[in-house]
Amino acid sequence: MRWWVFIPVLALVLTMDAAFMPAFAIGGHVPQLGPLLLAFVALYASRGAALWAAMIVGVWLDAMHPALGVGAETPRAVTVFGPHVLACAAGAWCVLETRTWLYRRNVLTVAFSTFNCALLASLAFIAIAGIRAAYADPSPLWGGGSGAAAVGSDMVDALYSAVIAILPAWGLQSTLTVWGFATAGPRFAGGNRMYRGND
Amino acid sequence: MPFVSSRRILVIALAGAALLSALPQSFQTPWSGTLATVLWAPLVPGASALAWVRDRIRAPAEPYQGLPEELRTTREGRDQLQGELDAAQLRLGQLERELGELSGYRPANRAGWQPRLATVIERGAGRPAGLLGIDVGTVQGIGEGDPVVVGGNQIIGMIAAGGAENRSWVIPLDDRRCGRIDAIVLPEAADGSSDASGGAGAGGKKADKAGRADKSDKARNGTRATVLVQLVPQGNRTLVGELESPADVKPGDSVLLSDAAWRPAAQGMRIGVVESEGALDANPLRRRITVRMESDPLRVARVVVKVRVSGQVQGTRGTGAAK
Repeated sequence: MRWWVFIPVLALVLTMDAAFMPAFAIGGHVPQLGPLLLAFVALYASRGAALWAAMIVGVWLDAMHPALGVGAETPRAVTVFGPHVLACAAGAWCVLETRTWLYRRNVLTVAFSTFNCALLASLAFIAIAGIRAAYADPSPLWGGGSGAAAVGSDMVDALYSAVIAILPAWGLQSTLTVWGFATAGPRFAGGNRMYRGND
Repeated sequence: MPFVSSRRILVIALAGAALLSALPQSFQTPWSGTLATVLWAPLVPGASALAWVRDRIRAPAEPYQGLPEELRTTREGRDQLQGELDAAQLRLGQLERELGELSGYRPANRAGWQPRLATVIERGAGRPAGLLGIDVGTVQGIGEGDPVVVGGNQIIGMIAAGGAENRSWVIPLDDRRCGRIDAIVLPEAADGSSDASGGAGAGGKKADKAGRADKSDKARNGTRATVLVQLVPQGNRTLVGELESPADVKPGDSVLLSDAAWRPAAQGMRIGVVESEGALDANPLRRRITVRMESDPLRVARVVVKVRVSGQVQGTRGTGAAK
């Protein structure tokens, strides 16, 4: 995978998630493009590259979403690195495990993987936050409410993200050659696959 | 990159992330904020531009949207003055109570404030949800605990500690992590306007006979007396509170912040209106009210932070009403 392509696209995607995607919020549920990018990379990149990409996404997400800790007068916004890193790695792992039985060239596959990735990342994050809440955090990292409510809310978010992802997934699929993926080179091109028939 | 193919480095990195995840916040506090600022810095120009595009696509839910600019400004100014009047009257009531209890007058030593306009550049997405990122920080004088308002007198949250030079985080009022909030319910008068003086003007009212006191109290504000209530944020623009059954609270009543833990500039700011009230099954002697914020924190584009100005005395009789 060409990292000089991935990093700027990641910056763009995270910027859009932070500043632009709330424009599409419905009932407090905001779609996100981060899981789409992660799922796309995990579908095509080598295993190692996909996990590294997930960790980079996670570091940036941790930087963008501070937790609230105890302050002198008011709650303190504290950046905690780690939870999103592991969560994104879990999301990418889910896609890596399922990509062998998926037809990757279909945009619906990318959307489906986006849902899987977002959901598993959310579950992992809430699990980590739940463990931390037992001894390290004054309030759970997921915010207010119970963990089950957070899972339910994130499930809707994941579904919404998957629906929204269909159009940008088509755009990403059309740039496959730019990314230089290990599993999307000429040997894996759709035309060649059709030509090889049942081999 | 060579490190990508190294399984050992990958495992070490994952183990490091797991270790960081397990450590308490205090282990990361000294350096994580700086690193987060560095990582966020390249995204700031793009985020500001995209926030502008977002507001064009979906208009923020600001008060008096659609009115001519001049009329909107005038109404926001009116609301601001109303908020300041409410704050001053709350303060006056408090001072009158203190004067009644103490022999000497104890002047308040509280700082003033000045408004600082800010743009919301990040909000809502991901976990933890709810915090709003705004484009002003310590360089502009923003400090922890500063109240954040829209429309002149509608409070939507407060500044969290740990902000950067040009970036701060706002904890919305409906976020549980804001903690419990003391407030007063202001009854709507018969003419539809709310009466902030509520219990504050009790000293100026003559009650000739004890039996006429209640009647006089009700007659003073036109309808009902103000009610103290402690609210618990519930998310989704709602806060709930419990109060004694005899308290006369009705849907539509205004709710103002009156919490000593908040900055003086936040006192008297409007939280929202009573959406519903009903019996509390667990305790028949108490009732439960639901307060709905009038502004949705997740749909505001610009906010005003009431920045504390040190050295400016506020709230004493010498300076008159609170600024």
